[in-house]
Amino acid sequence: MKSFLNWLDSRTGFREVMHEALYERVPGGARWRYVWGSTLVFTFTVQMITGLFLWTAYSPSAQTAWESVYFIQHVMEFGWLVRGIHHFTAQAMIVLLALHLMQVIIDGAYKAPREVNFWLGLILMKIVLALSLTGYLLPWDQKGYWATQVATNIAGITPAVGGEVQKMAAGGLDYGHHTLTRFFALHAGFLPATLIAFLVLHIAVFRRHGIHTPDPKGRPDGMFWPDQILKDAVACLAVLMTVLVLVFYKGAELGAPADPSEAFSAARPEWYFLFLFQFLKYFKGDQEFIGAMVIPGAIMLVLFLMPLIARIKGGHVFNIGFMSVLLAGCLALTIIAIQEDAEDPSYAAAIAEAHHNAARVVELSQSPQGIGVSGAVNLLRNDPKTQGPKLFAKNCAVCHRYDGHDGTGKLVMETKDGKDVESVVTATDLGKFGSREWVKGLLTDFKKHFQETENASFKGEPLKDHFTGGDMASWSETNGTKLTTEEVDALTEFLVAQSGRPQSPLVDPMLVAKGKELFELGTDAVTDSCIGCHAMHALGDEKALEGGGNGPDLTGYGSEAWLKSFIGNPGSKDHYGDRNRMPGFAERLSEKEMQLLVDWMQHDWYEAPKDETASTTTAPATPAAPAAH
Amino acid sequence: MTDASSPPPVSSGSTPRRGFLAKAASIVIGGFVALTPVVAGLLFILDPLRLGLDRLRIRKKPGGTGPGVGKEGFIKIGRIDSVPADGKPVKFTVIADRVDAWNTFPQEPIGAVYVRRADAGKFLCFSVICPHLGCSVDCVAGATKFHCPCHDSGFDLNGIRTNQTPPRDLDTLELDEEKFAVGELWVKYQTFRTGEAHKVVKS
Repeated sequence: MKSFLNWLDSRTGFREVMHEALYERVPGGARWRYVWGSTLVFTFTVQMITGLFLWTAYSPSAQTAWESVYFIQHVMEFGWLVRGIHHFTAQAMIVLLALHLMQVIIDGAYKAPREVNFWLGLILMKIVLALSLTGYLLPWDQKGYWATQVATNIAGITPAVGGEVQKMAAGGLDYGHHTLTRFFALHAGFLPATLIAFLVLHIAVFRRHGIHTPDPKGRPDGMFWPDQILKDAVACLAVLMTVLVLVFYKGAELGAPADPSEAFSAARPEWYFLFLFQFLKYFKGDQEFIGAMVIPGAIMLVLFLMPLIARIKGGHVFNIGFMSVLLAGCLALTIIAIQEDAEDPSYAAAIAEAHHNAARVVELSQSPQGIGVSGAVNLLRNDPKTQGPKLFAKNCAVCHRYDGHDGTGKLVMETKDGKDVESVVTATDLGKFGSREWVKGLLTDFKKHFQETENASFKGEPLKDHFTGGDMASWSETNGTKLTTEEVDALTEFLVAQSGRPQSPLVDPMLVAKGKELFELGTDAVTDSCIGCHAMHALGDEKALEGGGNGPDLTGYGSEAWLKSFIGNPGSKDHYGDRNRMPGFAERLSEKEMQLLVDWMQHDWYEAPKDETASTTTAPATPAAPAAH
Repeated sequence: MTDASSPPPVSSGSTPRRGFLAKAASIVIGGFVALTPVVAGLLFILDPLRLGLDRLRIRKKPGGTGPGVGKEGFIKIGRIDSVPADGKPVKFTVIADRVDAWNTFPQEPIGAVYVRRADAGKFLCFSVICPHLGCSVDCVAGATKFHCPCHDSGFDLNGIRTNQTPPRDLDTLELDEEKFAVGELWVKYQTFRTGEAHKVVKS
């Protein structure tokens, strides 16, 4: 071994290099305050290693970026670990950068003869920030997509060349494949290469001047190896442990896939850019440029000038003061940003929806249907569970409610006398539509079932008892109590069965048969049977039942076809006819929207089998808790 | 550049035991922090080697799903009356749901097979994949033999190799004989490792 090392040394001279590298004198001895630079080199190395591994599985395009990151995070072995380390080490780097900068300024290590190295350090800081920004977009989730839009739009307000800068960054007019390929090339190629070049210079110049010692007297000198290296290693260990704890207990987040058609009001930059985000709020309209460029530019200029300012008497004190104010300002802005969000119910609702969508799209990605060529974004676009509530809120919740809310979990509000109040309900709550409970309500207490319609108006005229004073209401009032519980159950079962949709518990065929008999013939006590008013072609029968009258045709009641027909044109003769007071939606909803809404109302969507959800977060049954208060 | 008045450098080895401990601790801790991301990354890229551990992948295995998939992964490829009685092979495309990493492609060509009637009306089914190095085997010269255009592997119409280039005969595939009664051809589509003397299913 020794002779091999001797041979190697004679050919390469490695011993001298090693000696040079390791036996650097540390004036005043090793100190904890010197570890920041080393931890930054360490974190950058971790990013290089994990980044290269992630590269083996990442695919930068608008249809594959989110999908490949999903695959890394949720399917591949240890993907969550490698991505988690990369994700949280990136954030640790920002913290360490700030600490390194603070230490350098407080110790006066930026002063002559180390000005150039200070400038190199500031350039390195800019590169690391650029790496953060470009990396944030790469998963192509809603969060990264919308936050990065803001960043490139800021670049777009640069005077004279803004439009060109923006097009260069995005690789075109809009975000797409080339935005990802360009950001990826920056993130994994240009920026790390530039960073390495500047890091080499930074360390070379650092070795030339040695460690700056604010108070070298009184303490014996130490050696870089092993005194300082041990402290550095312990610091790196602390950083790594922090990162691992975050990976294991929090995990790297992956939002729903980017969707340009889906506004994302929870869009925020990563926490270390929150101060900038908040700062920009104070600049309106054409002032934006000042907040986004002039002031940050001026601050960077002062930082660059610090070594020169320090030559003036009191300059060093000014620099420390400036840095302190700057950090305090950033901290204050970050706290304000977090506080404003915490107090904003619509932000909380947006976050809840974002979490729901993120979990839901993973569930759908793991369904047998899987992710198609058009990408995972279409899984959510075509998912009744995701789109139904939104369609209901937009189209139906003006009058109806869904278990008391607007479908998405929010209360329906309006402004009255300058105050936000809950809107008056003017149509039935459809949360239980088509269930046994719903049908029973119709049969036994029609008036109560439709009482909300009394609040409604039609063409300016109050509706009053248009529905609650009609034939069905009086039938229900007269006969509701005459029917035995068993008879009500049988009729209910028969009507519920007409939808053909699965019920829980399953439909009882014996009861259905009995219900059909009651529907047709009534009972001894109730002689005016249903068929007297309502036409009916029972599910599975060859012929329609004989009868029918002015009442709505109940054939296929609650089924997909019935719902589409009713929602499309409730005033058709099969439904309410002239008595109808509900607007038809055949023209207002596209075919696809109608299908999504109807599927949602029928609870017809994919759910992961319960035993296979161990690794997946299942979404709650209700999208979000009421959040309007 | 340090002050000339600073005290002379003191080697950390002034107390040898302390120096040794510091060095050992540095190496252990430094090694640990440096190796952690490397080990995590290596475990990550070994992902393709795991043997069907993932329930998702089992469920989505090629040929395992989609319309036209019968018992134990048999896939319908066509009708028996498309296969001539004179024993000439006919090539059928195998269509099934294909999974490629995160993507699912419904009903896509995933491979091809030759089917011919051998003596006594028995059906023979061969994979088109050459057992030599995986090229696609042609049926040439008036459909009288199989030939691989890459390295000249040759096989007769019964799939028996006619030269020593391929390590084994053409790979036969199982047909569902119960489906012959309704005039349909269903194949259990599998791929095998190439370059080996014995037929081993790829897994």
